[in-house]
Amino acid sequence: MTTLFLNRARKQAALVLLLAMGLSAMTVSSSGLLPHHVSGEIRVTAPNLHFLTGRSLSRLHDGAAVPFDFQLTIFTGAGTTGGPNVVAARALERFMVSYDVWEEKFSVVRVRDFRRSGMRLSASSAESWCLENLFVPAASLPAGQQLGARLEIRTAESKEPLPGDSGINLATLIEIFSRPSRPQQDRWSVESAPFQLAGLKP
Amino acid sequence: MKLVLIPALAACTLLGQSLTPASNPADEASSSTDQERASDLNINSRYTIESINFIDQRDYKLSTSALEEIRHLIGAKVDTEALNRLSQRIRAELRAHEVTFKLTRGAEPEAVKVLIHVDRAAGAVEASVPKFIYNSQSGFTGIGEVTSTLGSNALTFQMVRDRDTLIERFSGIQAKYDRLSLAGGRVRLGFEFDAYEDQYDPSTLAALDSASRPSSQSSNIGAGAYGSRLNYEPSATFVLAAPLTFTVGLSFEELSHLPSAARPESANAVINTLRYHQRWTGSGGNAQELDAGYSLRAATMHLGGDLAYTRHLAHARYSYSWDAQSVAVSIVAGAIYGQAPLFERFALGDSAMLLGWNKYKLDPVGGNRLAYGSVTYGYRIMRVFYDTGSVWDQGKPPEARQSIGVGVSSGLGVLEKGAFLLALAFPLQDGHVIPVVIAGMNF
Repeated sequence: MTTLFLNRARKQAALVLLLAMGLSAMTVSSSGLLPHHVSGEIRVTAPNLHFLTGRSLSRLHDGAAVPFDFQLTIFTGAGTTGGPNVVAARALERFMVSYDVWEEKFSVVRVRDFRRSGMRLSASSAESWCLENLFVPAASLPAGQQLGARLEIRTAESKEPLPGDSGINLATLIEIFSRPSRPQQDRWSVESAPFQLAGLKP
Repeated sequence: MKLVLIPALAACTLLGQSLTPASNPADEASSSTDQERASDLNINSRYTIESINFIDQRDYKLSTSALEEIRHLIGAKVDTEALNRLSQRIRAELRAHEVTFKLTRGAEPEAVKVLIHVDRAAGAVEASVPKFIYNSQSGFTGIGEVTSTLGSNALTFQMVRDRDTLIERFSGIQAKYDRLSLAGGRVRLGFEFDAYEDQYDPSTLAALDSASRPSSQSSNIGAGAYGSRLNYEPSATFVLAAPLTFTVGLSFEELSHLPSAARPESANAVINTLRYHQRWTGSGGNAQELDAGYSLRAATMHLGGDLAYTRHLAHARYSYSWDAQSVAVSIVAGAIYGQAPLFERFALGDSAMLLGWNKYKLDPVGGNRLAYGSVTYGYRIMRVFYDTGSVWDQGKPPEARQSIGVGVSSGLGVLEKGAFLLALAFPLQDGHVIPVVIAGMNF
């Protein structure tokens, strides 16, 4: 009987540990994402979100190039109770981040377009550069509706295909984000407070 | 002509082969292209690789083709995909859990060093055949090895049958424990236990018998013929200034004589070895390697032994390779003072030194003085060599012997780990010259 109780206690402890590990891999905030309306595009900033940390940062300091997949989703129905959230627009990008071992600065390349790159950046500047190059067209969003924004970031796996030359392969990235993250993958997620298109500031 | 065969060589070599999982070629091609593109996106790809080394400074045994791959990468721009391929190759050859690399600043601006980290899985067991030779004259010599690594602890067990390196023919076991990393990787501790059964060539027994007669001159051979040998050897290796290392330890050898009733004798010694082993690769694809060492074994009765002697041995091997050619020069010199047992005495005429000669005809009980030199020229896998040397006893005049030979020596595709050696050696002597074929794995 005692053994049975101990086994159950061990299983519960393991479950709690697994949940804790899962939560540690995903940072969720309801107001850490700030949307902006700039030149007909919706962009986001996330002052409190730092993804160049931990294992990824160690790999970068070791001279490796680390790919990060970004997904920005704008959905309707934010802030309503019971109503479904409907995706209104989505942007997907992969950024390749590397760290210059001599200059001790970060470099970021948008994989979809190698000409878009940020060089000699600090860690926070590199993070901001990625967000500056991730946007959805404002014209695709319904005016007068309550909207919400969600940003998801994952370190990509080395075997995962990169978007092709002919343009970003949305299906691939959607498929990547629909998969549960693996233990060795770092993952971050942050959401905005409900907003309306007309109320956004540049 | 003495025919030397190499049965089961291919099978033994295949034991050391890496196995890679099968994969879809289309997937591989796609993945490779993506990885190459990812490699281009690494800001460090503009830097030149200055050197490639292991973080833990261990002397890992890699195949000649892996070393060749390393040689090609040094001097080239950083290519993440190529370094990933090298890491995977090393992982397979060393049967490691994981092999990763990191880049650090080089000595020159715009240059980087590649440091490889080998993570051995806890409890991983590796089996290999580090040495294998067979010839019709002395039978086969082989070592089978099993190594298990638990963190920084390595346990090695060997089964040995050696008819090549010493005057005695011995077979038995060797068990070794190594604590691989202490004081930030600058100290390694080890403990080795050996248990061997010994046999002798009839000419050796006859010479020992002759030396033991009252009418003979006083012999400088300690212990005579023994039937078995036990060795307990604790040691510590210090990395003085990588790659210069110094090993110090004790060796407690117990020699049981052929009549089992006789009292065993012991040769207990302080052992010291200074070793330097370094490779350099130039940007033009040329490579140099220097392996030099000096060892001193000082047996003393203060350690409870029955024999007192000192044994000095120094060796140096330098090789230079460029394009498809290579030149290697080796020298070895040794001296023994006092009455050393047979396993300590020097011999020439084996598969490594003075190839082609019969060591028992040179001196059936070995000598207490040794001088040896060798020059080898290589073109691709072809080798031409000239050996000269002498083994003699103090007070007697040395007689220089020479041999020349041709052969092939390299990794040959499927024979990845450990190069293949096939040599035809001609001892240069008056009268009829009998060429000898030596074949096996080049360890």
